[in-house]
Amino acid sequence: METPPVVETKRLSRYFKGVVALNEVSVSISSGEVVGLVGDNGAGKSTLVKILSGDLEPSAGHMLIDGEEVHFRHPRDAKKRQIETIYQDLALCENLDIMENVFLGHESYRNPLLRLLDRRSMYRETSQLLDELAIRVPSTRELVMNLSGGQRQATALARVAKAGARLIILDEPTAALGVNETRNLLDLVMRFKAQGKTIIIISHEMRDVFEVTDRIIVLKRGKLVADKLTSETDPDEIVRYIIRGRD
Amino acid sequence: MTAQSPADASGLAVRLPDPVVALLRRRDSNVFFLLFVLVAAIVYFTVQSPYFFDDRNAFNIGRAVSITGIAAAFATLLMISGGLDLSIGAIMNASGLAAAVIMAESDTSIVFAFAVALGISAFIGFSNGIIVTKIGVNPIIATIGMQFVVRGITLATRSGSALVRDRAFLEIGQGELVIGALEIPVPVILMLTTMLLCYLALRFTQFGKYIYAIGDNASACRRAGINVTGMRIALYTLSGLGAGFAGIVLAGLTGAGIPYAAGSELSVISAVILGGVSLSGGVGVIQGTLLGVLLVGVLKNGMTLLNINANWQMVVEGSVLMIAVSLDQLKQRI
Repeated sequence: METPPVVETKRLSRYFKGVVALNEVSVSISSGEVVGLVGDNGAGKSTLVKILSGDLEPSAGHMLIDGEEVHFRHPRDAKKRQIETIYQDLALCENLDIMENVFLGHESYRNPLLRLLDRRSMYRETSQLLDELAIRVPSTRELVMNLSGGQRQATALARVAKAGARLIILDEPTAALGVNETRNLLDLVMRFKAQGKTIIIISHEMRDVFEVTDRIIVLKRGKLVADKLTSETDPDEIVRYIIRGRD
Repeated sequence: MTAQSPADASGLAVRLPDPVVALLRRRDSNVFFLLFVLVAAIVYFTVQSPYFFDDRNAFNIGRAVSITGIAAAFATLLMISGGLDLSIGAIMNASGLAAAVIMAESDTSIVFAFAVALGISAFIGFSNGIIVTKIGVNPIIATIGMQFVVRGITLATRSGSALVRDRAFLEIGQGELVIGALEIPVPVILMLTTMLLCYLALRFTQFGKYIYAIGDNASACRRAGINVTGMRIALYTLSGLGAGFAGIVLAGLTGAGIPYAAGSELSVISAVILGGVSLSGGVGVIQGTLLGVLLVGVLKNGMTLLNINANWQMVVEGSVLMIAVSLDQLKQRI
């Protein structure tokens, strides 16, 4: 039997006070695929991503994970299905250190009943994790408020890796990064792909999208206007879809 | 949410030596500052008054601040998470009066009376939590509203005070625990125990970590799968419970449950803020709250010994709070 897609949406819609942010979008993403999600501002990319990560509930339509219908009411529900998202604002706590952010919501305990934190083992694990991901930070005890943009993103990425995600969603990951940091991020995406993870990446940067994705999905005004294999299209065509939609 | 002003907007041109900057940047730098001011105040009053530096007087101060201290410990947790509870004072009176009335007018056990009083307090706190999180009312408005409701119901139920005659009840407020040569007032022990528990929770548990995390970035916490709403409701409930406990100790201390006392919530909140907790959440430690409470107590006691008029004591108390908060603002510009 063929394995069902990791995530599939059927005529998924979302309205905000009469505004249609997402209009009957049906997509299907298979295990191990790296999919680019592109479109102009207000195209519905973020809405789709928020629904997939449980941050927002759809107004209509269906969503299937591994062929099974799901209803996410809280980001927790998506996490249980091993879907992890790196939001554009990274969703970090500035007053906590790198380790505390990496383990946020996934703490290990010295005493599970009292939820006493096992800080020593978490620091050790964070160092190992960062080494494996080839991420360099001054110290795992550094507060996030003192980190650069790239280091913050590395922290968010390490959190996703820690959570053991199968589907990783990256919302505009390179928007705030410098040249070297973008390079590192794209390398990391390829490393995640090599580990067999499924990845959805939202980006305005055509170069990045064409470098790492297998497939590109274009949204325009809440509608799906193109779903193309990256090898069978080119940046000009995709930009045309972004601007003009389906001809 | 750290509102760090850019250095160029500071107007603070002084270059401080690196160790000083490092000290000021610590999460708990307030603690050092408060400790310094507290020691300075103690030295000053010791020099000025022969009655100040004495274990009896120290315990007088402790007893005087213990009620505020108990309520402030729980309020610290709530305020680090970005919450605020202005119904603390009303809850204190409601709880103390409820316990005293139940004890005076029925022959139930003290345990039952306290359980009812604490149950009422926790329920009020829980209601605050529901109104703030589920309905989304601003905490200031929600808990001021609650303050009026609770105060009104308390006064409608009983307009005068209810005397406490039960020995055990009075012991909670007036008793002393003899350790060697020291006779430590029970309220002081209760305050220190409460503070210690809150300290341990903040420092070593997941609950404590989430309090700081929610105070900084609640939406990030939600996205990390944390039950932010549940945490907030729990913290409002704890704040109510802490106020209720403080109210019981107060009734034991004064020997009566009283339906009305003005401004207790502001003493609690100002002690917490003096201790370094920011109203916008995410920062603060219990040690700061303890020092804040003690500093206010030492100043009041010392000024009383020096025969300074109570009106002027208020002026000093208010000024100390404003200076501390101003220094904290200036610190962020470094």
